[in-house]
Amino acid sequence: MDAIFRALADPTRRSLLDALFEEDGQTLGALEGRLAMSRFGVMKHLRILEEAGLVVTRRRGREKLHFINPVPIRLVHDRWVSKFSEPWVAGLSDLKRTLEGNDDGKNL
Amino acid sequence: MEKIYEIYIKTTPERLWEAITTPELRAKYSFGVVVTSDFTPNSTFEGRSPNAPIILTQGVNLEVDPPRKLVQSFNALWSDDVKKEPTSRVTWEIEQVADSCQLTVTHELRDGANSELYGGWPMILSGLKTLLETGELLTTPGSLRYVPT
Repeated sequence: MDAIFRALADPTRRSLLDALFEEDGQTLGALEGRLAMSRFGVMKHLRILEEAGLVVTRRRGREKLHFINPVPIRLVHDRWVSKFSEPWVAGLSDLKRTLEGNDDGKNL
Repeated sequence: MEKIYEIYIKTTPERLWEAITTPELRAKYSFGVVVTSDFTPNSTFEGRSPNAPIILTQGVNLEVDPPRKLVQSFNALWSDDVKKEPTSRVTWEIEQVADSCQLTVTHELRDGANSELYGGWPMILSGLKTLLETGELLTTPGSLRYVPT
């Protein structure tokens, strides 16, 4: 999980993910065109994103395409959101039952 | 267009295959949807909500190679909007890496396809990892949408 946060802690890498979110499966050349940065710089950032599992690559003929993999971000989300939101979800569903008038318990 | 989802899960290819193809296990991490099929080549599959007599997903198992690869055609039927989408294609690939498996789900869709078709994959795969590694269910809002009421 350290690698995910490290990869996301840089504005250039976040904008690379934005570019792939907008249009998935881009080449290095296409991504380079979006950033004011050398080809080497973009490659370095893509490698860090790839090591964190946030970008995966596929060869298509002579081209290497980059895809955003949002699964690690989901893992970060699910690690905390489920735990913290559970009492809220339970509370809101109790409120809904009470307000809709079909609550048969008196323990609220 | 193509969407690629990758996850590492600490399990064996056999257990992972079982979790993907067994209806009771699949329902635990796929919003509660019960997917039934005999998973033989060219057989069909259907995903149903346990609460209503409607089919939510449907398709054909184009390639079945347990415990490594499953290729399926995919039709989403849960709303009028998604029903308008042409048939897409989902490929599940399992590769053992040391004591874990790399699972890759590739979804091939038309350019600009409705994001509802593929937007659920991260939550499904996160729930699958949680189930196999801890035996527990995700409780994230939305993750139990079709669980029996």
